[in-house]
Amino acid sequence: MLETVAQAVINGLLIGGIYALVSIGVTLIFGVVKIVNFAQGEFVMIGMYITFFLFNSLGIDPLLSLFVSMPVLFVLGALIQHFLIRRVLGPNDMPQIFLTFALSLLLLNLSLLLFSANYRTVHTFYSDEAIHLGGLYIPVAKLIAFVVAMGLSGALWVFLHTTDLGKAMRAAAQNRDVATLMGINPNRVFAVAFGAALALAGAAGSLLMPFYSAYPFVGQVFVLMAFVAVVLGTLGNVVGALVASLMMGVAESLGIQFVGADSGLIVVFAMLLLTLAFKPTGLGGGRVR
Amino acid sequence: MAIRWKIFALALLVAVVLALPQVVHDAFALDIFIRILLFSFIGVAWNLMGGYAKQLSLGHAAYFGLGAYTSTIMQVDFGISPWIGMIAGGIVAMLASLPIGWLCFRLRGPYFTIATIATAQALMLVFLKFRDFAWGAEGTTIPNLGSSPLMMQFETKASYYYVVLGLLALGLLITDRIEKSWMGYYLVAIGEDEDAAEAIGVNAPRIKRDIYMISAFLTALAGTFYVQYIYFIDPATAFSFSISIEAALVSIVGGIGTLWGPVVGTVLLETTSALLQSWLGSSTGGIQLTVYALILMAVILWRPTGLMGLIAEAWRHYLHRNPARARTTHG
Repeated sequence: MLETVAQAVINGLLIGGIYALVSIGVTLIFGVVKIVNFAQGEFVMIGMYITFFLFNSLGIDPLLSLFVSMPVLFVLGALIQHFLIRRVLGPNDMPQIFLTFALSLLLLNLSLLLFSANYRTVHTFYSDEAIHLGGLYIPVAKLIAFVVAMGLSGALWVFLHTTDLGKAMRAAAQNRDVATLMGINPNRVFAVAFGAALALAGAAGSLLMPFYSAYPFVGQVFVLMAFVAVVLGTLGNVVGALVASLMMGVAESLGIQFVGADSGLIVVFAMLLLTLAFKPTGLGGGRVR
Repeated sequence: MAIRWKIFALALLVAVVLALPQVVHDAFALDIFIRILLFSFIGVAWNLMGGYAKQLSLGHAAYFGLGAYTSTIMQVDFGISPWIGMIAGGIVAMLASLPIGWLCFRLRGPYFTIATIATAQALMLVFLKFRDFAWGAEGTTIPNLGSSPLMMQFETKASYYYVVLGLLALGLLITDRIEKSWMGYYLVAIGEDEDAAEAIGVNAPRIKRDIYMISAFLTALAGTFYVQYIYFIDPATAFSFSISIEAALVSIVGGIGTLWGPVVGTVLLETTSALLQSWLGSSTGGIQLTVYALILMAVILWRPTGLMGLIAEAWRHYLHRNPARARTTHG
């Protein structure tokens, strides 16, 4: 019994690392640019397809393709911010919500047109490997994904707290107008924040590929999880999103283990609804908005 | 003069719409007309809350599905007419909107939207999971009784056309009444700035709750009609996310927070979709929503007031160029 619980917790933590990359991106964009990116999941999907095609045509290992998917998505993010998002920033919610929503709809259906609904998988030499620790079973691909995800999250935290650009980003997140008066160029900061968030989504895509299939709707799974994690971890809070993502991974995994294979999502929704009902400001406290 | 002109245009529209199934007998064309009327109606229901009060829900499929399931369960298990089931479904949806609203209205802006998505998905999961309650994932076909108007089953598509036309007329009538009442002004005030509206004494939580109930009730009627029309129900159809998307999309493209916006938007989107289908065939999955997404992006970036805004602008431009006409219409 204890072993089953421990195994479920490990599985949950490992996948929670991937959720963390997606939700940190969502919360970063929300914190700095003040919009919710409904298309975040589709960028995970794009990262997965980049990784798949690099592996399939050039034989590049998914871990190496991180060095392609992250820069490509960073540039894509900066461009999207500059040419699309920038035009709808303001007090009105409607255009912001539906612009990123339209982007999600567009990317999802374009990939359906281009790549069809088929599931694509990548089989690496470590895809089937696992570490046996006592009675526990730890798949190597998931462990690598978790470690790299934590590393990237840590790198982002260091970037936000030690570099000038990172500090400028946090300043812009706290008060855009005052930051602008202090000589911070908000457009540049926003473009970097959006790019960085998308790069994290791209990294999630590459890390997933050795043990997860790519298909046009794959992003929806992750974005839903990320939204719940971001609400749970207090909007705009990077550390909160990380902790909440890991918790959600564990909750989902325990749900699958003890309630039934198809009930992972029910557990997640239950967590969201309970959070909204009893602690709508998230576990970190703070303002709802 | 302006009012007389409006009444004339409306009378002409009503005459054309009423006569349409008498002239057009092609099943494919009638099917498109029925879809246009149905989604216009869903859009009108969404627009009451999403358009006027700017509570941008992407979870209206919850009420569509509840309406569809209520009437189907009543019909299949107890032999009760869907006409009664339709009203019952509306009431179930209204009651369901109370706890869902209580949860979701704690959040504002985009997070309200996300919470509505989650509640609709959670409801779909409930209907997928509890098999003995409502047939689970397989769904069920609705017994075909032949021509039986009392059970909302008709031999001709034209009859379905008139039923859904009646629903749309009801939705537009309710919207028109609300738009011109104190409630309409409160809704717009909440949509503009909720805090400011509350500061001047608008009871925002109550108004939002009430409009959500009305919107849910109407959406549920559409759900019952739809499953009666296609003779089939399963959770994926009844709680389909694309219902929630289309409800919002037609309103935004047509003109958010306007009486006719959802109708104009649906005519544009559904016509585009039908044309695409006849040109490219049904083999190319994804093309319809790709085009919808592009239209939505274009509207948001260049014309946030939607097609109704475009029409109003063209009309003003026309009056400006023809001052004589402006005098007579405004005189």
